[in-house]
Amino acid sequence: MSEHAITRRSFLAGSAGAVGLAATAGYMGFGAWEQAHAAGGWRREVTTAHSLCNSCSSKCGFTGYVEDGRLTKMIGDVDHPYCEGTLCARGYGYASIAYSEDRLTDPLKKNDKGEFEAISWDQAYSEIAEKVKAIISSNGPEALAMVQDPRPSGSYYTKRFMQALGSANVYTHGAACNLSKNSGFTQAIGAGDYASDVANSKMTMFIGRSYADAIRPSSVHDLQRARENGAYIVLVDPRCNNTITLADEWVPINPGTDLALVLAMSNVLIKNGLYDKDFVAENGIGFDEWAAAIADHTPQWAEGITGIPASTIERLAVRFAECAPAASIEPSWRGAFGCSYANSGETARAICLFNTLLGCWNQKGGALFLPSVSAGEVDAEKFPAVPKPEGKILGSEEYPLALSSMGVNVILADKAREGAVKGLFFYNSNMAAGYANPDYLAESFSNLDLMVAIDVQMSETCMLADYVLPDTSYLERLELPEFVGGKVPAVTLRDRVIEKVHPNTKPVDEIFSELAEACGVGEYFQFTVDELADAQLRTVGLSLEGLRQAGGTARFPEKEYSYGAAVKWKTPTGKVQFSSEACEKAGLSPVPVWVEPRTKPAGGNQFRVIGGKQAIHTHTQTANIEPLMEITKKYNLERVWMNADRAAQLGIADGDEVEVSNEEHTGRVRVKVTQRINPEALYVPSHYGCTSPDQHTAYNIGLRQMDFVPFSIEPGYGGACTQEAIVTVKKAGA
Amino acid sequence: MARYGMLINTKKCIGCYACRVACQRQNDLLPTEDFIRYEEKETGTYPTVRVETVPLQCMHCEDAPCAAVCPTGAAYIGADGIVQVDHGRCIGCKYCMAACPYQVRVFNEETGTVDKCRFCTVSAETSGTKMCSCVEACLTGARLFGDLDDPESDIAQEIAATNAQPIAGDLTKAKIFYVR
Repeated sequence: MSEHAITRRSFLAGSAGAVGLAATAGYMGFGAWEQAHAAGGWRREVTTAHSLCNSCSSKCGFTGYVEDGRLTKMIGDVDHPYCEGTLCARGYGYASIAYSEDRLTDPLKKNDKGEFEAISWDQAYSEIAEKVKAIISSNGPEALAMVQDPRPSGSYYTKRFMQALGSANVYTHGAACNLSKNSGFTQAIGAGDYASDVANSKMTMFIGRSYADAIRPSSVHDLQRARENGAYIVLVDPRCNNTITLADEWVPINPGTDLALVLAMSNVLIKNGLYDKDFVAENGIGFDEWAAAIADHTPQWAEGITGIPASTIERLAVRFAECAPAASIEPSWRGAFGCSYANSGETARAICLFNTLLGCWNQKGGALFLPSVSAGEVDAEKFPAVPKPEGKILGSEEYPLALSSMGVNVILADKAREGAVKGLFFYNSNMAAGYANPDYLAESFSNLDLMVAIDVQMSETCMLADYVLPDTSYLERLELPEFVGGKVPAVTLRDRVIEKVHPNTKPVDEIFSELAEACGVGEYFQFTVDELADAQLRTVGLSLEGLRQAGGTARFPEKEYSYGAAVKWKTPTGKVQFSSEACEKAGLSPVPVWVEPRTKPAGGNQFRVIGGKQAIHTHTQTANIEPLMEITKKYNLERVWMNADRAAQLGIADGDEVEVSNEEHTGRVRVKVTQRINPEALYVPSHYGCTSPDQHTAYNIGLRQMDFVPFSIEPGYGGACTQEAIVTVKKAGA
Repeated sequence: MARYGMLINTKKCIGCYACRVACQRQNDLLPTEDFIRYEEKETGTYPTVRVETVPLQCMHCEDAPCAAVCPTGAAYIGADGIVQVDHGRCIGCKYCMAACPYQVRVFNEETGTVDKCRFCTVSAETSGTKMCSCVEACLTGARLFGDLDDPESDIAQEIAATNAQPIAGDLTKAKIFYVR
């Protein structure tokens, strides 16, 4: 923790003189007395530390100010590439998790009555280890699996722990986030992601992503720069999201039909010869096949599917061509095609091909492959390499296109039902409430011999577990360095800001190191997180202390990106794959063509459920944060959104309570009647419907989107199909 | 003496609540103490629709109804024109809350007193924030703070350039100006 003594001059102190003037009634009020004393020179020692926010995956850098051991102010670090000096509401609010009354404070074990009892760490470790050993001896290490939402230390320690046990089954939350998108991109361009050069673009189209709701501050800044530069910004989204303030046009597409729009815009470019023919000829493979396959995917055809007038589709495509190569479709994240529909992976593939038609790869204002840096080899004696497990990650056979770095976590439900998986660990993951149908998951996990959840509060996943281990909050620990790709790549540090609030909690590095010891594989964990962090940083010419002194962020200017570099496509063919052999093998069309979503609302009182972030929440993890949930309560943000015309037809008024129902679930909530949503869609904010009574702030507020989503998995890609859900809506009591 | 004021450009506001939560964190407020509240206005019909978010907070009125009705002098206008609350004198009668046409004063259930935006820039510069917390936190730079009487200040020039106006005209001689 770097320490700076700062004289704290309270706000009131500066005004004390003015108070004196105002206090002419002849006495000095307590406030004035207190202010006068403040002016008299309270001098408090303030310490500061640089850390990384944990309220979403962006992990923005900030300086935490600590007075008398307690976190006070948070200032976004100007040098951090994602933050650029400003944090979002979630960042400021989520910090209160450290002091939450609902923190998990001791290891818990579920007793025969299904109630949790506090136990010692030693007991927890030895009992868990005993069960792990029993599972390995009867079913092999492949019957163990881990699900985690990646964080700097968590990614490393969870994987190392599982590999030490001999299991390759380490999953991220990806199947319920961006697995289909990244896997689809990989089929087309050999990379799981790219970055749109929004700020320098002449035109950028966002599909399902909202920079103003799923906020990464630097993205918002980029969008503003784009506007100042005169870029044309298009939002394709069934919901007129909050980014509209910074955009030129809202295209209110029917949910689940983005693929048809992208194919039809491609059709326009090809038919009219408006694409970059040289770029396609040089870089592509299978173009003619694709062009022939989508020859009938015209704007007129797409109008019937997407609800977007053919003239609009034509206009947007032509404008793209005029703006190329300083134009692209932005890669999105979870949004509309990260994991939502039966056609999400194919949508991702088509978007890469459309960008290829624009010839915008690595062009200023186009779509970029930005450099990143990673830690090199560390001392093999101190940090011995773990032998790679023999088996492949479960799910890779059934979903061959899914990136193995993420894995198809939802398949674990079926593997647990079949008895192929016996032991499951969760770190920083609320799978049971956020990834797929909660009832289906709960029933599946009840078959396990061992379920362990590590978290800071009693999540719905924790509630299902046999053992719950209390994590420290992100403010209370040092983590491994976090490498951040970008135009100038960087490395950043989550340092300890405050001491442990609850003495019996432990950070993730300690938990897995000690658990490994108990499981008999402790030889791979004979080091501290400080030692490994320092060793990793030394491989890139830095040190732990050096990075602290540098303010928590260091850049690698020698790796700076430059426009125009030829791309080395890391696909099997070394080309942009308009046609993919792997997709064909997986039972899909070799070239991306229209694929229907699995479900479609039939009109009447039927709607498709769509989710999406609000600017104050991330998934289910922030719902129990008081400063954030207070906003939800004050502004009724838990309401579902319904199109005004549809509401009028159904006799539903703004603020009415409605019953939302399908075969999976029935629930009641109030409705926001609005012009801001496509008639087919019912927006159910993704953050609510908490069923854990120990989360006193979040419990029982609003609906949980996933309750309405039938359990299903996207063919080939493995996404959780989180918006393949149809519901009926009626006024409550009607 | 400076005459402090603020400009809020709602054309840049994305309705993200960062200003509210930053204000609470940096000023150590309760989760229920919201010095900034929001009015959201939707105009047009599907699919041609626009959304405006208007953040509201203490306008630091020169003709301040809260100060006029306060029976104890707890609500008063300081020498620098910043409307203040002397918590030692506040008896929690809420007259000021009823009188405020902007409904931006909040009751602190723990202390039993009323509070509101303090234009915190004046004091905060030595402990982290260089500017009002809300101004610093704004992701889109929708807010400006400064001396309304200094013709060279950013805020004075921006008000002149955009013809920014108080939210309710000259009702209370408010010192927050809006671009809408």
